Amino acid sequence: MVIKVEDFFSFLHKCLDKTFHNFDQVVLPAPSRNPLLKNYYFTPMTQTGTYNLDSYRTVDPLKVFFFQPREKMLPAGFPAIKRLIVGAKGCDLRALHVLDQAMINKDFVDPGYSHWRHSTTIIATDCSEIAPTCHCTLTGGKPFAEAGFDLNLSRLGEQYRVTVGSDKGQELLDLMAKNFSMQPAKEGIKSAIEKKRSEIIRLLHEQNRAFERGDDYTRLQSSGKENWNRESLTCVGCGACTHICPTCYCLILNDETKAQQFVKVRSMDSCQLHGYARVAGGGSPRPKMFQRFRNRYLCKFLFMHSNFGELGCTGCGRCTETCTAGIDFRQVVRNISETVAVVS
Amino acid sequence: MHNPYEVIPATIYDVIQESPLIRTLRVKPERPIPFKTGQFIELTIPGIGEGPFTPSSSHYISEEMDITIMKTGFVTEYVHKAQPGDQVGLRGPYGTRYPLEKFAGKDLLILGGGCGLAPLRSLFLTLLHDVEKYNSITFFAGAKTPQDCIYKDAVTEWRKYKNVRFLRSVDVVPAGETWNEDVGLVTTLLKKLDIDPAHNPAVVCGPPIMMKFGTMDLLKYGYKDENIYLSMEKKMYCGFGQCRHCVMGGYYACKDGPVFTYAQIKNEEDIWE
Ligand code: SF4
Ligand code: SF4
Repeated sequence: MVIKVEDFFSFLHKCLDKTFHNFDQVVLPAPSRNPLLKNYYFTPMTQTGTYNLDSYRTVDPLKVFFFQPREKMLPAGFPAIKRLIVGAKGCDLRALHVLDQAMINKDFVDPGYSHWRHSTTIIATDCSEIAPTCHCTLTGGKPFAEAGFDLNLSRLGEQYRVTVGSDKGQELLDLMAKNFSMQPAKEGIKSAIEKKRSEIIRLLHEQNRAFERGDDYTRLQSSGKENWNRESLTCVGCGACTHICPTCYCLILNDETKAQQFVKVRSMDSCQLHGYARVAGGGSPRPKMFQRFRNRYLCKFLFMHSNFGELGCTGCGRCTETCTAGIDFRQVVRNISETVAVVS
Repeated sequence: MHNPYEVIPATIYDVIQESPLIRTLRVKPERPIPFKTGQFIELTIPGIGEGPFTPSSSHYISEEMDITIMKTGFVTEYVHKAQPGDQVGLRGPYGTRYPLEKFAGKDLLILGGGCGLAPLRSLFLTLLHDVEKYNSITFFAGAKTPQDCIYKDAVTEWRKYKNVRFLRSVDVVPAGETWNEDVGLVTTLLKKLDIDPAHNPAVVCGPPIMMKFGTMDLLKYGYKDENIYLSMEKKMYCGFGQCRHCVMGGYYACKDGPVFTYAQIKNEEDIWE
């Protein structure tokens, strides 16, 4: 189906009204208030704000709405907020698929994550632009969502083509069609969108040509210590890269028990921090920075792959964007891969 | 829905000072915590923090639990201040157990040192429950000095079983202390082994360095990779394969372990760190 962009925004504004839909909050990307920065942040919608659904991924990863930086797990009692997130990108939805496997599985269900997952509706949007660090195509991704959304929007001029990804999405689309004028998507529109998508893919290939490395990631493991040492020389071990990564979910459980009630608070943790895996007595499996640095790469490309059957890197480029030391994640993967010949 | 972060309150009913650095808390949880020997629990000191510990009591008792703890860091510092009557919290049990069925009819060797004796005591007491099932049990226990030896009171009892051989060794005997058992690293006791290494299981637990050399020695004596059971104690924060602190290559020490065979993990990196 096709809807005018203007009408879609009117629909979102209506969604802020409890008598129209039971959403408590609509969240979508807003441009940075600093005009020098071309950046977007997920922001709660107001009647007067300006938003951009069609550029590239936000600075903040989608995971913060589900795996919050800090949240009380015990006693469990999560706010009953129904959220509509608009403008989620393909990379972040792939990341959410990794987190889903980690946080909701047969042995374990994280009460916070599953609460937020169930109370959130997601509308994805195609990327019409790419950030300088974007490299989803290097990790098998696309600049549009293929799964994991309730609805997806592809922009063409002043129109959105809406596609449905779930029953929840279908209901929302029905509500949209009841209140606004919508037409079925014609073949011309479909092929124009395909063309636009291929053009973005071409831009991504072009931008990342120098970082191509094939997909034999076992080379990361076999490459020598001296190479990792060299790549990590400027890393200060701040952990920014892991906190902002949409698939990192290492956690730490803090005890905040007062009086007779046990209180457990879950916070994000980072394998880049020195105290991370240290056991009582001071032993640590990765006392050196280069070991922790290497661990992150192995985790993304090998450990998560063996645990979940998919890569832990979506190519969103946030770790590169945020790194204090200016380390380019793609460059490291490429450099390390080049130190080891591929055995064919 | 069950909250995996749930904590079961427990009351300390006795504290045994085993050695200057090691003590055993005897606790009574509000409701029984059935576990299998080898598994671990998370112990919360209210308002301070929590840490993974392996019960040191038999798994045939679930209404009470002994937890033997060495003073090494922040949380354990508080453990060493705990008094009978204090409340603590327990989560678990988590992880894998010792495969008792594989020990039946065998000549089992248990090799341990220092605080590694805690899970081994649990295993040992569980084995004693139906001791006739096992052909023999050889327990080699190590400590730094005679005063570091733990479970002192129980040793005489344990030595009464006719298919149990319990030997102890200390690294050094400082002036002024008396000791009339073996002296040397616990692995030197292996010279006294009188069972067939090729067809029998061995269980190892202790400080990382002892586990490393213990395992290497067992291999030298002819033990098979797949018959050596190791209790790998990593930073098992959450207990259910979630927080990733205890990841060893492709394994989680908390979920795939803490009990591993050497065959399972010998190719992983830095297992002895
Ligand atoms: S953000 Fe950069 S400096 Fe900080 S830990 Fe990650 S790689 Fe190192
Ligand atoms: S490793 Fe970097 S590029 Fe890959 S998903 Fe995480 S933040 Fe994005």
